[in-house]
Amino acid sequence: MYCGTITYMRWILFFISIALGIAAGLYFGWVVSPVEYVDTTPDSLRVDYKADFVLMVAETYQAEKDLAQAARRLALLGGNTPDTPVSEAIQFATTSRLPYSEVDLALMRTLAQDLQSWEPSPEVPQP
Amino acid sequence: MKERRGHWYLLTGFIIGVTLGIVYAWKINPVKYENTLPASLRADFKDQYRELIAVAYTANKSLERAKVRLAQLGDPDPKQTLAIQAQHSLAAKNPRPEAYALGQLAIALSQAESGGSPPSQGGSPVPKHTSLPASTLANPTLTVLPLRSTETLSPAVTLTQGIKPTASAPILSVTLFPTQTYTPTPGSPFSLENIQLVCEQIRAQPLIMIQTLDAADQPVPGVEIIVTWENGEDRFYTGLKPELGLGYADFAMTPSVVYTVRLGDEGIPESGITPKECDSPSGTRYWGSWRLVFIQK
Repeated sequence: MYCGTITYMRWILFFISIALGIAAGLYFGWVVSPVEYVDTTPDSLRVDYKADFVLMVAETYQAEKDLAQAARRLALLGGNTPDTPVSEAIQFATTSRLPYSEVDLALMRTLAQDLQSWEPSPEVPQP
Repeated sequence: MKERRGHWYLLTGFIIGVTLGIVYAWKINPVKYENTLPASLRADFKDQYRELIAVAYTANKSLERAKVRLAQLGDPDPKQTLAIQAQHSLAAKNPRPEAYALGQLAIALSQAESGGSPPSQGGSPVPKHTSLPASTLANPTLTVLPLRSTETLSPAVTLTQGIKPTASAPILSVTLFPTQTYTPTPGSPFSLENIQLVCEQIRAQPLIMIQTLDAADQPVPGVEIIVTWENGEDRFYTGLKPELGLGYADFAMTPSVVYTVRLGDEGIPESGITPKECDSPSGTRYWGSWRLVFIQK
């Protein structure tokens, strides 16, 4: 009976030490040496920054009228097709409380429409 | 017989726990980079982001919007970083249009800071601002912050240690106008008007100081300068040190090296430029600089 209690206590302490180990690992990972965002890629940007990125591409496209160049720039944001990040940006711009102007929205919509009907030449890298 | 067992099992359990924690953190549920800020981008992506800001600036002519976007990159001195990138891009053998856009934005920022007005391209009207642009960055901290309180951006709010975004302001609204692509100094070629030895003891290194002026004696920024010497060549542009004049550029010489200067690939080479010593009133000798003034005919 006494021997069984000791064994039971040892198991309890064993699992407590495991829990302490996990806690120590998490403390190290989250407090002592926390994650630092460095060397990230544009596809991981927060949605509002992605939308601003798309807006920059749309502004540039307005002046350059170069869809291939716009697609190359948009490829940095990921997505299956170049118009995917543009559609997401438009959705964000229309549903967020940030006051996107109609001019900015129109630029992005124009870019989205042109991209939907765009057929890339083979040398243009696709995302 | 009584078995004597120590407390090593506790250490064993602790090690197992740490191992489980690491396996969970690295394999089962590794860190996913989401909702990051432009300031955390890899250096080459930051360069591309800066290029995009510059070409967007050439399209919308909104310096305020460009400044806010540059601030999002978190550079210690955005103007300086931009100028350095512009110099590097413009010095490339076949600079892309983005390089000129970078140079143009660098000049515009410098001019704005020194109280002047940015150069206009093709007489484009100034855009109308209706609000201030997106979020800016505060000093980095190790605070874990929620996203802004007024916006529901994503249910998966991920770690944001290391970088602290401030509450975001509305994104800029501007009226855009099509503009022509920036090209440096179109028009007539330049010719050397004056070359002069400048004796200024304050300079640590002898310089080739170049000034480009148009026919109306106004400084001309964005002119490509090519300096060649035995086994070497350097290319740079006027206007990237606007505090010294929009048509100014300089190059540090090495004593006893002979240089040739020309403006652009088609320019007439001015050869035989080498550091020359000057005499101070006290009799000591120091290196003087050459000032070359080019005028567009």
